[in-house]
Amino acid sequence: MSPENPFVPYLATVKNVVTLTPDIKLLGLELDDSIVRDNFSYKAGQFAVLSAFGVGEAPFCLASVSHPKGELEFAVRRIGTVTTSLQELEPEAAVGVRGPFGNYFPLDDNKGKDIFIIGGGIGMAPLRPVINTILRNRDDYGHLLIINGARTPQDLVFQAEFDIWASSPRTQLELTVDRGDDGWKGRVALVPAVIAELNPSPENTVAITCGPPIMIRFTLQELRRLGFQDNQIITTLEMKMKCGLGKCARCNVGDMYVCKDGPVFTCEQISKFIEQF
Amino acid sequence: MTQTISRKNLLSWLGRLLEERLLIAPTHTTGPTLFQPVSTVEDIVFDFDNTALSAKEWFFPATETLFWAEATDGRTELVPATVEREAVIFGLRPCDAKGLALVDKAFLAEPADTLYQQHRDKAVLVGLSCRKVSPQCFCTSMGTTPNDPTHVDILLTEAEEDYIVQIVTQKGKALLPDNLLVESEVVPPPPPSPPVVPAEGIEEVMRQAFDSPYWSRLADRCVHCNLCAYVCPTCYCFDIRDYESKGKIERVRSWESCQSPGFTRQAGGYNPRASKEARLRQRFYHKLLYFPEDFGAIACVGCGRCVQVCPVNIDIREVISDIQKIGGRNVP
Amino acid sequence: MNQQLRDKAKELLERGTVECVIGYERATDGSSARPLFVYQPEEADRLIFDQTCTHNLVKYLLNKKDKTTAVVVKPCDSRALNLLFNEKQIQREKVSIVGVVCPGIVETGWNQVSQTLQGRCQRCRQHTPLVYDFLVGEPPAEEAPPAEAYADVAEIEAKPLAERQAFWDEQSKRCIRCYACRQVCPGCYCSECFVEQLQPPWVGIKIAPPENNMWQTIRAFHLAGRCSGCNECERVCPMDIPLSLLNRKLEKEVWELFEFQAGLSAEAVPPFATFKKEETLGIGE
Repeated sequence: MSPENPFVPYLATVKNVVTLTPDIKLLGLELDDSIVRDNFSYKAGQFAVLSAFGVGEAPFCLASVSHPKGELEFAVRRIGTVTTSLQELEPEAAVGVRGPFGNYFPLDDNKGKDIFIIGGGIGMAPLRPVINTILRNRDDYGHLLIINGARTPQDLVFQAEFDIWASSPRTQLELTVDRGDDGWKGRVALVPAVIAELNPSPENTVAITCGPPIMIRFTLQELRRLGFQDNQIITTLEMKMKCGLGKCARCNVGDMYVCKDGPVFTCEQISKFIEQF
Repeated sequence: MTQTISRKNLLSWLGRLLEERLLIAPTHTTGPTLFQPVSTVEDIVFDFDNTALSAKEWFFPATETLFWAEATDGRTELVPATVEREAVIFGLRPCDAKGLALVDKAFLAEPADTLYQQHRDKAVLVGLSCRKVSPQCFCTSMGTTPNDPTHVDILLTEAEEDYIVQIVTQKGKALLPDNLLVESEVVPPPPPSPPVVPAEGIEEVMRQAFDSPYWSRLADRCVHCNLCAYVCPTCYCFDIRDYESKGKIERVRSWESCQSPGFTRQAGGYNPRASKEARLRQRFYHKLLYFPEDFGAIACVGCGRCVQVCPVNIDIREVISDIQKIGGRNVP
Repeated sequence: MNQQLRDKAKELLERGTVECVIGYERATDGSSARPLFVYQPEEADRLIFDQTCTHNLVKYLLNKKDKTTAVVVKPCDSRALNLLFNEKQIQREKVSIVGVVCPGIVETGWNQVSQTLQGRCQRCRQHTPLVYDFLVGEPPAEEAPPAEAYADVAEIEAKPLAERQAFWDEQSKRCIRCYACRQVCPGCYCSECFVEQLQPPWVGIKIAPPENNMWQTIRAFHLAGRCSGCNECERVCPMDIPLSLLNRKLEKEVWELFEFQAGLSAEAVPPFATFKKEETLGIGE
């Protein structure tokens, strides 16, 4: 955003629009100003506020890994006025970007550990840069186990990348759907059941999970049953946002602002929140 | 020895000021007394308790354009709003001035809200001490006093026929010429004493009382309008929305409050704070716990406007007292 | 009268007829009133009814749809009850109506209680609620004739258009869109108010005229034929905007067009809530 005014976005241009699922598209943007582009660096977990000019703004997690020359990628699910408008954009359209905002997954602090990633539906969007960061620094991490669930096979988000993930060293990718279809030969089970089936050890492991609230709830139950401590489980919270800067006082859960103090929190932190949803 | 200014000189000084700057002062309207720009000093109201809305609306307007976006020849250009005009806010009560200082903590924290900062930088605050308290006042329980000069540039205190002048900042000194001031032996009158509200240690008690059924009972009668937040000098929640007209886009922010039923409603319909209880509780917790945790002060200045305007008499003084009692404190 | 009210409340709670009694108690200024929700019989001694009890408590029933509730109603409030029964917003069986004979409510606000009756009470034609299960208080032996219903409306109507425009522009300049008027109104219960809709954006979020004008005017239209004249909207407005003028202008129009007044019975359907083929008002002829 303009350094003179944190409410004024950076201008960016849509470079790519890829349909991922019936209601999710991957938007690839390039910031117009080269100096801004070179200095826009972020870590997995952070988000940006995208403007569909004339319609409004909404926060989206950065689904790409930070790179000075790289596009900013966002997985946008069509659900309201702004997301519908963003999905209708074509390459060369102008959008606004404010950010990067928020905190990030503590990947540096967890080097040398096994990483257990559990994602459901659009929840894979913030987890994709986590996976890609690990893959680009493969030797820094131990075993990588990924459970990726969705309602139906069509709703699995990053299908084009599954082969890359699965074929990485010391990496196991387990897919599952709530409901299969005619072509689906894979697992049909709810995510918590898959966790139970795989029975991973919590020893020297950190679990990172994002997905619909109901999936999170039962995932946490299952992880705790397996012996994961709350400080070994990391997730993201989502609240309605407007400014993204900690000014409009809208996105708080108790005294924590999701835009400033989050969106990444450990379950231990969340358990101590004065307000529980 | 104190410095004073005669009423005559005060009015002529204000008359000169309004020729160069925007002079905002308490004025009569067909409704209540409000801070408005004046074009003549005769319009300034001196005999008032407090304005219906705090002075915050001149720094954080009820509606403000953040920027314009225009697309020409396939290129989009963004034009940020700026504040051009120098202003003087006259007749600011110490409670309202403290209110601005509290909003500063939120808005000027990194990254600073530059539009608000421009408003603040371009305005000089001329405060007016209170000679009497109103039944709803409790400023001394909230860290200020009826004659507190801390958060203004100049403070005036009525004393007999004249005004005692305290120049507090360089900005104030630059605004008020020395030759209008007269040395005097008049003694500053003692400030009035508003009733005391037992706010000491409220944060700790609030922390324990989050799940108390008290909030549900209180929320029963709350109608969830936005009145308390809008008249409050320290409430600052806002909404942002785009307007489009003939190819020109405007991004506007407007006041909103946590009491609004849809305040936390997400696209798709999920609303974590849908219940009346949760919304009502949010406002008190923000003021009495979250803001102090973040910024070190209770977000209340004891002006009592919320007490005056609440259609159903939700009274923050009563709430503080009740919560202290729930926390086992022996308070009136 | 207070004792009658308290005893009735205690009885309803003790018998389990209702889970809550909604009435009035003294406010923190010691002189005005505020709503009170009584859940336990021993709390019923806080209930009062006097000329400061201005609030329309019927609105609260919309938060208690699945509960049995008793509510204290004045005649104007009872008309709001009829509206909500008719529009199927509350179930008659779930409500115990404690009607009070109303001597008229005085001008009142926090720490301000005057001797003057509110305008709506001066114009009022009913001192006994139109619907109730129990009645508290004695109907007066004789009633003073009510004031002229539309004198102030007629005054505005008589002004030339430009003056009327200027008058309402002046009012809407002061509106801060606090929505207190909407929130206290029993007729305003949409789960998403038109003013908050994004698609289409009927009215935006700019707290400025002419959006404020649109807000006030459209709300008044949504209440045409439904407004019970309780005047709470005008009382709660912090900017002293004479909102009841808008509502009563439309009330006058509805009377002249349809001979209909809101809330007189739970069976009468408001004119704009129904459509009859034969009523085309000459359009298309």
